[in-house]
Amino acid sequence: VSQTTAAPDWLVQGEIGLCPCGCIGKRSRGSFVDKTLKGGAGVMRQAMFGEETSAEAGLLQRLDARVKLVTVLGLLVTAALVRHLQVLVVLYGVTLVLAAASRLKLSFFVKRIWLFIPIFTGLVVLPATLNVVTRGHIVVPLGSWWFGHRVGMTSQGLVAAGIIVTRVAVSISLVVLLTLTTPWNRLMAGLRALFVPRMFIQVLAMAYRYIFYLLAAVEDMFTARKARMVGIEGDTRGGRAFVTASAGALFGKAHALSEEVHLAMLSRGYTGAALTLESFRVGVVELAWTVTCVVLAVVVLGVDRALGH
Amino acid sequence: VHIPDGYLSPETCGVLGAAMVPAWSAAGRRVRKTVKHRHVPLLAIGAAYAFLVMMLNVPIPDGTTAHAVGAVLIAVILGPWAAVIAVSIALAIQALFFGDGGVLSFGANAFNMAFVMPMVGYYLVYRPLSQRLSLTSPRRAFAAALGGYVGIVAAAACCGIELGLQPALFHRADGTPLYAPYHLAPALSAMLLAHLTLAGGVEFALTFGVIAYLQRANLPMLRINHGAVPETDDDLTRSPVRLKWWYALTPIVAMALASPLGLIYNTGAFGEDNVKTNRNRFLQKNHLAAVPRGLDHYANFWHHALFNGYDFAHDKHPVLGYLLSAFVGAMVISVVLLAVFGVIRLARRTLRPVGA
Repeated sequence: VSQTTAAPDWLVQGEIGLCPCGCIGKRSRGSFVDKTLKGGAGVMRQAMFGEETSAEAGLLQRLDARVKLVTVLGLLVTAALVRHLQVLVVLYGVTLVLAAASRLKLSFFVKRIWLFIPIFTGLVVLPATLNVVTRGHIVVPLGSWWFGHRVGMTSQGLVAAGIIVTRVAVSISLVVLLTLTTPWNRLMAGLRALFVPRMFIQVLAMAYRYIFYLLAAVEDMFTARKARMVGIEGDTRGGRAFVTASAGALFGKAHALSEEVHLAMLSRGYTGAALTLESFRVGVVELAWTVTCVVLAVVVLGVDRALGH
Repeated sequence: VHIPDGYLSPETCGVLGAAMVPAWSAAGRRVRKTVKHRHVPLLAIGAAYAFLVMMLNVPIPDGTTAHAVGAVLIAVILGPWAAVIAVSIALAIQALFFGDGGVLSFGANAFNMAFVMPMVGYYLVYRPLSQRLSLTSPRRAFAAALGGYVGIVAAAACCGIELGLQPALFHRADGTPLYAPYHLAPALSAMLLAHLTLAGGVEFALTFGVIAYLQRANLPMLRINHGAVPETDDDLTRSPVRLKWWYALTPIVAMALASPLGLIYNTGAFGEDNVKTNRNRFLQKNHLAAVPRGLDHYANFWHHALFNGYDFAHDKHPVLGYLLSAFVGAMVISVVLLAVFGVIRLARRTLRPVGA
């Protein structure tokens, strides 16, 4: 191979961190450009996935958005008031049944929650199981290295960790059930049932719409940056300058868009008054669902109180 | 700073959510008054922008990245009240549509990030620091960045207090905490440590960078909230520096507002164990067999205090006694301070040469 036809070294070298298994080259934490692009794609994917699942013919999809919003909030409060691990586990079972009845893939539904919880909640509450944080009866002794004191996991600490992890799982499951079974425009209209002022709902709806428009602008900027990059991003300071300048430019774009939208609104006769979707339908299904939720809440809280304080 | 559902008791969420209702309604009214019916698209843009700013990864040394909140940045560009609504709506979208942050804890998250953060950062830091600066002054970008730093630390402090109150207020009879398990000291210090260093730095860098960018590339965007501010330092008409005396009161007011926390954690102050509060502990600590007679005598010499041991009527109403002694103490100190200031002012006025 002659010198003139040889590829330059930087092109031949395997780019570090390109392989998802991470077995070639050095471990790379991924640049901020990749992470932001990935985050944007995640937002897009999640929104589109929600649109898809909310169009299925499942149990929760059939309910009126207002009824669903209010009852799910009620179930959230119920889950928040429960004081026993066993009851929370049963409630988690109920969310699984609801997910199955709403034709959500159970494996996905379980994964979505249990991939997130061990990392965030689990790690955070782990030290709280020790007697150093939560006093009580030591059930798993771990030696005596804390200034000469005995250290171990307490029964109180373990139960508390179990309660918080399960409670977070139940709460997230309920919210995921709500968002995956309700089209976003219906969900926003449903907020009227919670006495949210129309002006807020209008801003919320427009903001939701703009997010995807502006997300495309962010993706363009970051993809352009990535297209011009050779190798990995190493310059933290330069990277920060790029991110902040992009954020500044994004505001300029957003503002120009808001002016255009405002003019478009005026040209269509906008007077400042907001209207929202108000078709309220309460049929047998909604009634049956509401009664079931109320009975469930009463039974759950009753059993919980019966188990003692 | 996002608190997911399950970390806070429903009571805490309810109280903080209720506290946000007047803030939202006041914000709605103020924004509508200043920007007329243009407010809907402007707020929607602000909210979408807030959502995206929270998504941007900011590179920090050692190859990692972190997110900023951007509430103070939006407060500087659109005004603090518009920021309250914009960040609240961004949080609502995150919670309702993307399952990020909680639905029940939305009130708490909105209180920390959409109210405390922009208000503290804007009114307590940015505005006082930037009052006499031109629109393109580099010090204005610095003031905004400092506002962002202080704002996120204040939000983290609120978050730490909310989490830290849970185990003391909500636990089972055997002491098993029902919600967030860490007490005030570890919860608050962990939150503050993370935000005084890393998150605060990221917030500072983002706010500084964006404001500096707008100053050099898109000045009209800064005019939205800074209508009549002169553009360059040359246009500035210098007025004498006037430090308002009540700036000094803000930390005192903050401490007074935090004083009820002592009701929940009524352990003694650090290093204040004495003969009177805990006799045995005192003996043990100083390796003594008995309390010296003179010490014993003078420790209990004065027992005619109005609120003996921050209490009255022999601990019959401990809560009332604590609050009342806190209030009376604060009032007495205020009266004394005001009297001293009054005397100083009087002296300055009488000593000032005639005609000056």
